[in-house]
Amino acid sequence: MSQMSYFKKKGDPYIFAAGMGLIISLGMVAWILIVILAKGLGFFWPRDLVEVTLDDGKKYLGEMWEKRDDYDRHETQLKNGNRDLYGIDFVWMDDANIVSSEYPEGAFTFERMEYGNFYGYIVAVNVENQAVTAVDGDIVSKAYDAFELAHQTHDEVVETQQEITDLTEPLTRLQREISLLEIDRADRTEEGRALLERYRKEANEMEQAIAEEYLALNSELEKLVIKDRSIFLSVRTTDGRNKDLQLSHVVRFFAPNQMGIFEKSWHYMGKLWEFVADDPREANTEGGVFPAIFGTVMMVILMSIAVVPFGVMAAIYLNEYAKQGVVTRFIRLSVNNLAGVPSIVFGVFGLGFFIYFVGGSIDQLLFSDKLPEPTLGTGGILWASLTLALLTLPVVVVATEEGLLAVPRANKEGALALGATRWQMIRKVVLPNAMPGILTGLILAISRGAGEVAPLMITGVVKLAPTLALDATFPFLHLDRKFMHLGFHIYDVGFQSPNVEAAKPMVYSTALLLILIVILLNIVAIYVRNNLRKRYKSSTF
Amino acid sequence: MDMENRDTKQKHYAKVYRADRWAARFITAGGYGIIASIIAIMLFLVYQSLPLGKNASLGDVLSFKVNSPENQTFLTGVDPYQEIFYTLDPKGKLSYFNLDKNDINSQYQLPLSGEEKLLTAQKGNLLSPVFAVGTDSGRIITAEISMKPEWSDAGRTIVPSFEVIEEWQFTPENDSIENHIETIAFVQNEDISRFWAWLDHVGGLHLRILDGEYDDEYLHDLSEYFTDTNITALTISHNGESLVAATRDGDLYWFALDDFEDITLKDKWRASNRPISAIAYLLGDQAIVVGGADGSVETWFPVRTEANWMKFQRIHTFEPHAASIKLITMSSRNRNFLTADDKGNVKLHYSTSGATEFNFQPTDYPISTITFSPKSDAIVAVDAQKNFSLFPLDDPHPETTTRGLFGKVWYEGYQEPEFVWQSTGGSDEFEPKLSLIPLIFGTLKGTLYAMLFSIPIAILAAIYVSQFSPTWLARMVKPTVEIMAALPSVVIGFLAGLYFSPLFEDYLTGFLITPILLLVFFFLAVLAWRSVPEHIRAKTNPGQELLMILPLAIISIYASLQLGPLVESWFFGGNMQQWIFSNLGVTYETRNSLVVGFALGFAVIPIIFTMTEDALTNVPDSLSSASLALGASRWQTVRKVILPAASGGIFAATMLGLGRAVGETMIVLMATGNTPILDLNPFNGFRAMSACIAVEIPEAPVGGSLYRVLFMTALLLFLFTFVLNTLSSIIGERLRKKYARF
Repeated sequence: MSQMSYFKKKGDPYIFAAGMGLIISLGMVAWILIVILAKGLGFFWPRDLVEVTLDDGKKYLGEMWEKRDDYDRHETQLKNGNRDLYGIDFVWMDDANIVSSEYPEGAFTFERMEYGNFYGYIVAVNVENQAVTAVDGDIVSKAYDAFELAHQTHDEVVETQQEITDLTEPLTRLQREISLLEIDRADRTEEGRALLERYRKEANEMEQAIAEEYLALNSELEKLVIKDRSIFLSVRTTDGRNKDLQLSHVVRFFAPNQMGIFEKSWHYMGKLWEFVADDPREANTEGGVFPAIFGTVMMVILMSIAVVPFGVMAAIYLNEYAKQGVVTRFIRLSVNNLAGVPSIVFGVFGLGFFIYFVGGSIDQLLFSDKLPEPTLGTGGILWASLTLALLTLPVVVVATEEGLLAVPRANKEGALALGATRWQMIRKVVLPNAMPGILTGLILAISRGAGEVAPLMITGVVKLAPTLALDATFPFLHLDRKFMHLGFHIYDVGFQSPNVEAAKPMVYSTALLLILIVILLNIVAIYVRNNLRKRYKSSTF
Repeated sequence: MDMENRDTKQKHYAKVYRADRWAARFITAGGYGIIASIIAIMLFLVYQSLPLGKNASLGDVLSFKVNSPENQTFLTGVDPYQEIFYTLDPKGKLSYFNLDKNDINSQYQLPLSGEEKLLTAQKGNLLSPVFAVGTDSGRIITAEISMKPEWSDAGRTIVPSFEVIEEWQFTPENDSIENHIETIAFVQNEDISRFWAWLDHVGGLHLRILDGEYDDEYLHDLSEYFTDTNITALTISHNGESLVAATRDGDLYWFALDDFEDITLKDKWRASNRPISAIAYLLGDQAIVVGGADGSVETWFPVRTEANWMKFQRIHTFEPHAASIKLITMSSRNRNFLTADDKGNVKLHYSTSGATEFNFQPTDYPISTITFSPKSDAIVAVDAQKNFSLFPLDDPHPETTTRGLFGKVWYEGYQEPEFVWQSTGGSDEFEPKLSLIPLIFGTLKGTLYAMLFSIPIAILAAIYVSQFSPTWLARMVKPTVEIMAALPSVVIGFLAGLYFSPLFEDYLTGFLITPILLLVFFFLAVLAWRSVPEHIRAKTNPGQELLMILPLAIISIYASLQLGPLVESWFFGGNMQQWIFSNLGVTYETRNSLVVGFALGFAVIPIIFTMTEDALTNVPDSLSSASLALGASRWQTVRKVILPAASGGIFAATMLGLGRAVGETMIVLMATGNTPILDLNPFNGFRAMSACIAVEIPEAPVGGSLYRVLFMTALLLFLFTFVLNTLSSIIGERLRKKYARF
C-alpha cells in the first residue's frame, strides 16, 4: 500500500485536524480561566513599592503594574497613585530611561476613602496640635496609634450625629406633617385650622424640651469634628511634595517593602474579606462588592420562586398528563424556542410588559397618590426577577423532564396499581425521585440568572443602589427597589467608569467572583445529574 | 360505627379526588403556560411595534364662525392645551376666543392710526409666539402673544395677554406716498436678535436686523439683486443665518446673514420654470420647502459639493396640488409641514421621507391662515369666510415608513441618500435617522465572523471527541464544554474589550499569521508522521495524537507571535495598522470584528459542539459496525457513514449556534465600538441590533418612535431566532425518528 493511499484510508491528517479543533476549544477555556484567576487574585496582594529614577531626574514611587513589550521597545507601567496631586494614577515609562529602581523601606501605601491610593513617606504625626516627627523616635507606631484614635473619633462623630438625628426625629416628623397640611391648605376648614394650631403648639413645646440637649450634643459634635480634623499625618511624596492626610479618611496604610510573606498573606485575607463584605468606594473602583453580591442573590432567589413551580408543572404536564401529540410537540417547540430567544428580547419584553404595562397599571390602581413618580412602573428587583424567570424557564423544564424520565416506569405503575390517584402518584413517587433533576434545573437556572446582564440592564439594575432590597424597615422586602448585580458591575465599572485603568483590578476580581460562583454551581449541577443517572442504572427493571 | 367510617372514608376519597382534579388543572395550565409565554412575548412585541405603520389621521373637526367684522384673517394659533385660540384681522384687532364656548375671551388692538391696515403678517419663532406685521403706511409692528396656563383651586385656566414690542416706520429712499410693506418675513432667534425682510410697494427687498446682544440696528437694501424680476416669496431661517427669496421666474436667491453689516448673496439658482409662490424654512434650518404657482411642492437643502462648498439641491418632490401654493407652515416638533393652495386644499407632508401623508379640504373656501398647534397634535385653520376649524392630528410616527426603516434616505446635511442609524441628537431640531439596515448589517457581520471562527473548531472538536478520543478524555471534555457554555457573556465581553483587544492590537501581525503558521506546521507534522515506520504508527492508541498536536499548537502560536514583527517589517512596512489604513482604506479599531468573532466563539462553540457531538454519537452503532466489518478504516467510516448520517444534526447545531450569535448582547456591546457602519471589513467594528437595544431603550421615551423601533428590532431578533430554532428542532426530530428504527 502506498503511503498516500494509506493516509487517505487511515485519514491521519483529518484526525489530527479534528484533534486540533478540540485543543483550540479547550485552550480557549483554559486561557480565559487562567487570565481571570491571575488578574483577579493578584489584585489584593500588597505590592512592593518601587522608587524609580529616570535619566531626566524625575522620580516616581509606586507599584509595578504592567509591562508592555512592543517588539523592540520595553515599557513599564507604574501606578504612582496620588491622584489629587498628579491628576492621573498611572505613568508609562520606557525601560531604557530608567536609571535606578529601589525598594525603600520607609515607603508607605495609604488606601484612602477618596482619590485612590497615596504613596509616600511619613514625615510627622499630628494629634491635636502635637506634632511628632521622625526625630522623636518610633514614628510608625505613633502613626498607628493616631490612626486608631482617628477612627475612634470618627466613630464618635457618626454616633453623635445619629444621636442628634434620633433626638430631633419626632420634631422633624411633626414639622413635615405641618408643612404637608400647609400645602394642602388645611387652614381653609375649621378643623384643619385647629389641627394645625395644635401641631404648631406641640412642635413649639417639643423644640423647647429638647433645646438644651440639642445644644449640648451639637457642641460635642463640633468638638469631635475639630478633633477628627486635627489628627493627620504629614506625608511627603517621592518628588518632595508635602501633603496632610486626615487619618479618618485613610482606610488603611502599610509599608509593603517591610512586610514578610505572612504579613502579606494576612493583609491579603483582609483585603479579600473587604472585597466580599464591604460597600464600594470611589465610584465602584475600590472597596467591596457586597451590595452587588446581595442584589444578585436576592434576584436569583426571587427568580427561583417564580420559575421553579412553573417549570416543574410544565415538565410534569409534558411527561405525566399530556398525550404525546400535537400539543406536546408544540410545547416542546416552545421550550426550545424560549431557550433560543436572545436574552435582550426578554429584557425588552420585561421592560414593556412587566414594567410599563403591569407596573404602570398597578401604580394607577394602588399608588396613584405618588404619581407621576412611579413606584412599580419603573425598573426594580421584582420585574428583573420575573424577566429572568421567563428566561430560565426552559432550563428548568428540560432538566426536570430529564429527572422525570429517569423515574422507572415500574415505580409509577406500581403506585397506580395500588390505587393511588395520579396526583398522589406524582407527589409520592415521581417528585421525590425526580428531585435531583429539579435541583439540577434550579442550579442551572441560578447559574444562568447570576451571569445574565443584558435583560437586567433595562429592567432595574443600577450602578449604585443606596439601599438594599431587604432591610429592617417595614415591609422589610422592597420589591420595587433597584439593585446592584455582579455581572452589571463588571460592565459598568469596566466600561462606564471615568478611570478605567484604575478600575480594571476591581473588574477582574468581580469577574473572578462571578465565574467562581457560576462554575461552582455548574459543577454541582453536573455532579447531581450524574448521580441521578447512576442511581437508576441499577434500579431499572 | 360502620356508617360513620364509610362517611369519613368517602369524605377522604372526595378530598383525594378533588386534589387530583385541581392538580391536573394546575399542571395542565403550567404546560400550556409555556406556549402562552412564547406567544405572549411575540404578540407583545408585535403590539408595540404595530403603531409604527399607522398612517397620519385627522380626528373630528371642531369648527365655528369667528365673530369679526373683517373677512380676512392674518394669523391664528391655539394654546398647548387647546382651550383658547386667537385671530388677527386686517384692522389690527387681535381676538382671543374660548374654544369650548366660541365666545370672545379678550381683545387687543395693534396701535394703528386711522385708516391704516395690515398687509402682511408673520410669526417669528416656532416656540415663542412673536410676530411682525407690515401696514399700508410703511410701518412694521412687532408684538408678542402669550397664552399662559395658570393653576388655581378651580383647575387650569389659560390667561391670554398681548404686548407690543416695537413700532418702526420704514422710509424708502424715493419717498413715496404709497409706502407699503407688502410681504414680510420675520424671525426672532435664540439670541433674541430680530430679522425683518420685506418688499416695498415697488417690490424692492429690504432687510432690517436688530442685534439682540448689542442692540445695534442694521438696515440693508437688497433690491439691486432683483432689478429685472419680481420677488414672490421670502423666508428667513429660524436661527437668523440665511434669507431666501423666490422670484416669478422660478429662481431662488440665498443670502448669508452671518455678518450683520455685510449681507452677501451666497448662491442663486433656478429651482423651477414656473413662478414660485411660497417658500419656508423647515425645522432645523437646513431644508426649505418650495411651493410653485403650478402647485408643485419640493424640498431643497444645501449639500456639500466636490469642491467642498454648499449648494442647494432638490431632495424630494411631493404630491402636487392642483392650484398655486399659497401657504406653507411647519411643525415645531418634527419635519412635518402643511401646504395649502389657493382653492383651499391642504396636504400634510413629511420632509425626511418625502411622503405626502394626507390631503384634505378644511372648508369650502380658500384658507386665510393655517398652523399647527404647539404640540403638533392639531391643525388650526381659518378660511376666507372667517370659519375657524381645529382638526386633532394623530401622527405619532411619521418618520417610520418602510422606506425610512429599510431604505436609503437623504437626510439633511448628507451628500446622498444613505442608510443611517442616529436616533438621538443634541437639540430638539435633530432629524432622527432610524434606518435599521446598519443594525441588521452589524448583527450579520458579527455573526459572520463568529461563525467563520467557531463552526470549524466546534465541529472538528465534536468529531474528535465522539469518534476518536478515548472515553476518559470524552468524559473530561464534556463538563469543560458545559462550563464554557455557562461562562457569563459579560465576563467574556469584558475580557475581549479590556484584555484581548489591546493584546490583539499589540501583536496584530502575529495573530494574523497564526492560522497560516498553524497550517504550515500541521503539514510538516503530517509529513513527519509519514516517515515514522508503520509498525510504530500502528501502535499508537487513540488519544495519543493529542500529545503531538498540543505542542504543535503551542509552538505555532508562539512562533507566530515572535515572527510577527519580522513579517510586519518585511511585508507591511513595519506598521500593520498603517498598512491596513493605506491599503484597505479603513482605520484600524482596537475593538474590531475579529476580536468580536473570537469572543463570540466562546458563546457559540459550546452550543455547536454539544449538539454536533450528540448527533454524531446518536448515529446507530449498527451503521458504523457494518462499515467497519466491511473493512473500512475508522476514518473512512466517519467520513462516509457517520458524517452523512449526522449531517442533519450538524446543520441543526449550526442553526442553533447562529441563533445564539445573532442575539448575543453583552459581548458585542463590550467588544465593539458600536458605531453603526456599513462595512464588512474585519478591522473595524459594527453596531448590532441587540447591543443597540440594550444601550438605547432605557433612554427612549415610552411610546415614541425610537421606543417602538427598538421593539421592532427586538421583534426581528425574535423572529430570526424563532425561525432558526424551529428549523433546528424540526430537523432534530426528523433525525430521531429516522434512526429510531435501527
